Amino acid sequence: MIQTIDISSYSAITDAIRSEARRILSDSTVSAVIGYTAGRRVGTTQPIVITTADEADKLLFSAGCLNDLVVYLTKAKKDVPKSGRIGIVVKGCDLKALVGLLGESQLKRENLYLIGIPCSGVLGSLLKPSAELTSETIASKCCECTDQLPLGCDFIPAVTPAPLPDLEKRYATEIARLEAMTPSERWEFWKEQFSKCIKCYACRQVCPFCFCEQCLCDRNRPQMVEQTPRPSGNTAWHLVRAMHLAGRCAGCGECERVCPMDIPLNLLNRKMAKELKELFNSEAGFEVRDTGPLTSYREDDDQSFIR
Amino acid sequence: MQKQITEANLRLLIDSLLLKGQRVVGPRQSGTMVLYEPLASASDLVTDELPRRSIKEAFFPVCEDLLEYRKEGQQIELKDIDPARFPETVLFGVRPCDAAAVPVLDAVFSWDYKDQFFLARRAKTTIIGLACTTADDACFCTAVGLSPNDPKGSDLLLTPMVGGGFLVESQSEKGEVFFSTWQDRFSEPDGTQTQALATPALQPLDLKKIKAWLDDHFEDRAWDSIAVRCVGCGACAFVCPACHCFDIVDEGSEKAGKRRKFWDACGFSKFTNHASGHNPRDLQPKRYRNRIMHKFKYYDDKFGQTLCTGCGRCIRVCPVGIDIAGVLEEIEKK
Repeated sequence: MIQTIDISSYSAITDAIRSEARRILSDSTVSAVIGYTAGRRVGTTQPIVITTADEADKLLFSAGCLNDLVVYLTKAKKDVPKSGRIGIVVKGCDLKALVGLLGESQLKRENLYLIGIPCSGVLGSLLKPSAELTSETIASKCCECTDQLPLGCDFIPAVTPAPLPDLEKRYATEIARLEAMTPSERWEFWKEQFSKCIKCYACRQVCPFCFCEQCLCDRNRPQMVEQTPRPSGNTAWHLVRAMHLAGRCAGCGECERVCPMDIPLNLLNRKMAKELKELFNSEAGFEVRDTGPLTSYREDDDQSFIR
Repeated sequence: MQKQITEANLRLLIDSLLLKGQRVVGPRQSGTMVLYEPLASASDLVTDELPRRSIKEAFFPVCEDLLEYRKEGQQIELKDIDPARFPETVLFGVRPCDAAAVPVLDAVFSWDYKDQFFLARRAKTTIIGLACTTADDACFCTAVGLSPNDPKGSDLLLTPMVGGGFLVESQSEKGEVFFSTWQDRFSEPDGTQTQALATPALQPLDLKKIKAWLDDHFEDRAWDSIAVRCVGCGACAFVCPACHCFDIVDEGSEKAGKRRKFWDACGFSKFTNHASGHNPRDLQPKRYRNRIMHKFKYYDDKFGQTLCTGCGRCIRVCPVGIDIAGVLEEIEKK
């Protein structure tokens, strides 16, 4: 049965974001605010960077606010003005990515002003942007969300998000299906998925953790990974991506959302997250950690895999 | 020449082509997407959805081999890929926004350098277009001077008729040849009305006015505000029917390998990166400016056409909601 998701709080959230952005820009708490604004097509939004209080009314929050804006804070995005303190609108999932970047010393907390969203969920895709938010159209990541209310922000609209109805945990279901396969069946599954890749690198470009200034996959002197969109180079790229994100990925799911070829990339990330939870009881959260599960060594780490 | 064909005869025609061993490519379901792919039977053909990627790959594939090399001692053996191996192909159900991009690509691939790979495939391909009766809010062919039944690029154009079947108009010699080869499947037009065409919402853009602004505003602060959100992926260029930038790379080992041609995109930070390390387009706004300039100024200056057919694919896939039609409207108002 298709259930409607209650997003009646989003207009109050929009009002609150606007007045807070106006306040922090007019009293010079921040030099810019990164948020969402309406797109030309009904239901769509796009990221916006505003620098004056007059522009605050351009901001909004809706079920179409899919982007993880944290990518605009990373050094990979050199074009976003980063002088002074920057305000940014974050959902719980986005904040976990930001916290990860704080842990990796990519950002300084005192340079940020966090506007948290009490989130009731967003659409899975903007291919049909005017769709109503339901148990069918909601993003897969929202179905397993435990962080509707971000913690540790500088401002959060005084709105309690309506609890999400019981939604099918799509990633858990799909991971269980893949785990039940034989290794060769699983290889076939991923081979087919990677064969669709056209190497547009949208997955890399939206990822807050893909901030390498020189991506290994772009190197051509010497070439490290086949650049062409062919099976070997595609597989190499997606495995490099998955492994480099293991223990870091915060689960914003942007890689999967933006893939124009519908490759279920977040499945790889979710599987890694599951392993890390099981092996090291480690998962992305709202608390800044200096070292990640794969960048620290402890005497009592499980070493049973060394044979 | 005008003819008409029933839905059943159209399917029979496709199956007859396939039986003859002819390669037929058309929109078909491929996993979660509709893509232009070889059809195995007429029942594969999907006529109610714009494929996720454009028809350009029928002539300009995502990646193709140009030559093979083998080296032993001082001996180097080079093996060319013979363009004559490309099979005769019929493209069925090509949307007018896709077909219209083909002559645009013809111009650039047969300009100073004749790209034998593109041209060999082009010569062996017949394009059967299909007029659109529905549009979504990203479609804007009518805003860039085309229409949902534009014959540009099609050898034959099918327009759905009221009550089923299609009115078929030939637009080229290839179309006439196709009519005469398969004349049994077609009948004379009986005057049945064609269905109402799609009506994309965006008003026609004044492309001359937009170009005039571009002519004078290579340097303008607008590029920063338009492109600040661009994250620098190649999704827009790769789904575009008209974008045609490519890179060439040798892959393999010192001993043996292949030279390959593959899609490139002006969004990438390495696009136009010089061997010296200098990049004239070092920031994203400069790269996005190139995208707009190439489509609506440079290409027009050189070939008198616009490098955009309003298919709306880039609008649908952009990770950060960049809407080229909205950008053009903004420029038009300046």
